[in-house]
Amino acid sequence: MVQYSADLDSAFAAVADPTRRGILERLGRADASITQLAHSFAMTLTGMKKHVAVLEGARLVTTRKEGRVRTCRIGPRRLAHEAAWIEKYQQLMDDRFNRLEALLERTRE
Amino acid sequence: MRGTTPTTRITTPVEREIHAERIVNAPRDRVWRAYAEPALVAQWWGRGNRLDIERHELERGGYWRYVEHSDHGVHGFEGRYREVTAPERFVRSFEWDGMPGHVAIEFVTLTDLGDGRTRISIVMQMHTPEERDGFLHSGMQEGLDAAFAALDRTLEP
Repeated sequence: MVQYSADLDSAFAAVADPTRRGILERLGRADASITQLAHSFAMTLTGMKKHVAVLEGARLVTTRKEGRVRTCRIGPRRLAHEAAWIEKYQQLMDDRFNRLEALLERTRE
Repeated sequence: MRGTTPTTRITTPVEREIHAERIVNAPRDRVWRAYAEPALVAQWWGRGNRLDIERHELERGGYWRYVEHSDHGVHGFEGRYREVTAPERFVRSFEWDGMPGHVAIEFVTLTDLGDGRTRISIVMQMHTPEERDGFLHSGMQEGLDAAFAALDRTLEP
């Protein structure tokens, strides 16, 4: 069973950031190491690691470590879509149930 | 942002099925009424958008049709009730006007938790992944389309 925690960094939060969209575009062309990405985006290694961690949390990117090099690649498209879809459904249902709770609160006898 | 308000628990135990679960702080009878009385449904189901309840025949075989008016357009939803067991469960078919002929089945179960709260469990069953995606499109009114489009573009092979 796949379970999504509400506070998990979502695909939407991940792609809302222009740098992370850039990273996805870059990885869409070819795999790259964190160091290469940091160079491309003129960022520190630490800063790039954080962005990659967000993308990895949203399953948009996968990484694997070989020796001292961590290589990043685009995550499975289907999973990314699934995560984004779930996030949207969550938002829809939250909005709806929040309204329901407000109604139940108003009509409390 | 989230975390401060109660959230809905979403799971996908099998493909083409999506479960949503939420515990609300009200006894089951009142939650049932919020689903059963058209004047009450109109106050929450549309998430703040105007909602016209055109048909609401809450009985086996009965027809339902809701029309939601948002800033981004008018969306009709409709179907028929397959099973109605007050105050704990109903099953209905669910179609969005935007994808006529594609029918999902919605199972709504209300569980009395015995402490004045109620668990609402909603299962949506779709036939194909396309129907599942299309179904969610019907709820796309929060300006998230751009994020989705960006996601699609960046993930193009």
